[in-house]
Amino acid sequence: MIRVENLTKYYGKLRGVEDISFQVEEGEVLGFLGPNGAGKSTTMRILTGYMPPNSGSAWVADVNVSESPLEAQKNLGYLPENNPLYGDMTVRAYLNFVASMKGMSGAEKEAGIQRVVGSCGLEAVVDRLIGNLSKGYRQRVGLAQAMVNDPPVLILDEPTSGLDPAQIVEIRNLISELKGNRTLILSTHILPEVNMVCDRVVIIHQGHIAAEGALDSLAANMQADSTIRISAMGVAGALSDKMKTVSGVERVELLGTSTGEEAHFAVHAKGGDDIRSDLVAAVFAAEGKLTEIRQVRLTLEDLFVRIVSGEHKHDEETVDEETVNA
Amino acid sequence: MHNTFWIYRRELTSFFFSPIAYVILAAWTVLMGIFYSGAFLSYAVVSMQLARNPQAAAQYNITPTSAVLEPVFSSVTVILLFVAPLLTMRLFSEEKKQGTIELMLTFPLRNGQMFAGKYLSVLSIYLIMLAITFVYPVILSAFVNVDWTIVSSAYLGMILTGMAFLSVGLMASSWTSNQIVAAMVAFMILLATFLMEALAISASEPLSSILRHLSLGMHLRNFIRGIIDTRDIVYLVSINILCGFLVLRSLEYYRWRG
Repeated sequence: MIRVENLTKYYGKLRGVEDISFQVEEGEVLGFLGPNGAGKSTTMRILTGYMPPNSGSAWVADVNVSESPLEAQKNLGYLPENNPLYGDMTVRAYLNFVASMKGMSGAEKEAGIQRVVGSCGLEAVVDRLIGNLSKGYRQRVGLAQAMVNDPPVLILDEPTSGLDPAQIVEIRNLISELKGNRTLILSTHILPEVNMVCDRVVIIHQGHIAAEGALDSLAANMQADSTIRISAMGVAGALSDKMKTVSGVERVELLGTSTGEEAHFAVHAKGGDDIRSDLVAAVFAAEGKLTEIRQVRLTLEDLFVRIVSGEHKHDEETVDEETVNA
Repeated sequence: MHNTFWIYRRELTSFFFSPIAYVILAAWTVLMGIFYSGAFLSYAVVSMQLARNPQAAAQYNITPTSAVLEPVFSSVTVILLFVAPLLTMRLFSEEKKQGTIELMLTFPLRNGQMFAGKYLSVLSIYLIMLAITFVYPVILSAFVNVDWTIVSSAYLGMILTGMAFLSVGLMASSWTSNQIVAAMVAFMILLATFLMEALAISASEPLSSILRHLSLGMHLRNFIRGIIDTRDIVYLVSINILCGFLVLRSLEYYRWRG
């Protein structure tokens, strides 16, 4: 449905994105993650035909964006990053304008406007000026505008930025409702959002794709070296020695002891096997009393930070090596 | 056509939503009214004096059209010098400032359609302004004979001159995201063409002729006297084409730069 091949865009000497490629299948929701300035908006703007890439090509709804932009743009709904709107128009007039721009007319247009007014919850404000609306409503108008012609592809650039928590939930629910019948690309730097709505993520960093894949497999891959936290009453040295004998354990780290001779360990294990029960057995073997055991799960935050921080070297070769393919 | 119409409609609605529209229309009506009543009253006095002096009347050959309407129509360029930048300044710069141009450029819409819609919208406003001035020859015709051929020629000239002025304004607006800068740049370009005419007086040939022909205001003069010269038409139309071309280049550059 959406295909991007070797896309490169420079703003003068400044790198926007460099040689990125990915695909989105029909009906899939792709989360576009990355720190500010990573190149998320650049990629989206190229996909929408707003600006041409320096090299590489992009296909939206299987139409080449550079070769036939008008055709591609007909199949596209776009919500730009700061959601620009005409403040001097009413919601209805604006939606009517956008629908007309997208080539709709007559009853089809009326039906389209009715549909998005309903699905975006705009009934109460439909005859008010956009300039007088709250930010939450403006964001809904932006979404309504993108969906008015029921396009097969939706590109949303940070749809929840700048909203209050209640509004974020609303917009997120709205996006979840869109799932299934549309191909959706969604950029954000709010990580829980990705967990909730996206099937797959592309993490982009400094203009390159740093990681790509389904969330679970991405986490599993990154979790190749898992960590287990164990607390137990007993002799710290004996406990540590016993745990080291468990197969798969790479290193046992004593984090500290607290009153009552409770020792806290971080056990670093290799491979994805679950060794928790073996560790429990080891603790008993060392005549310790287990008080706590916990697998340290990699949250998306950890994943994200690992990918974009020092653990990943930023020079070209290593980025390619460490690209995780699901 | 469809897209052009909707851009056109949006721009017109937006124009009449803003107070600038009413200020400009009011200022235009008042200023033109002052020019007209001044010319009208002085002609009333002059014609009375000439009636008592047939020799002088024959010598000067003053008609109501040349005495009253010609100065009024000539003043259009002077007012346009200020009004055209004000009418056009927001058309592209506002969209760039608000970021709405980003959405506009992702609609299935050609740059040319966007330009055409905006251009036609501001041209319509100008035609409304010209229509207001049409009451002057009508009022005049109630008292004396008006030469309607000359009036038609003058209106053709004013429309063509106005189109050239407006396209310069649109061009300036497409260069910047700041309305004031757009207005100032348009004003400077238009003013420069006025100064060219002044320079032409002191310059020697052939420079003098070149400067005179480049001047925007000068080309209206023939039309107002009832002379329709293809050179004037070609000049004014080519200003439109040049500015339109530069607007499209500027939009393309805007896309490239991102």
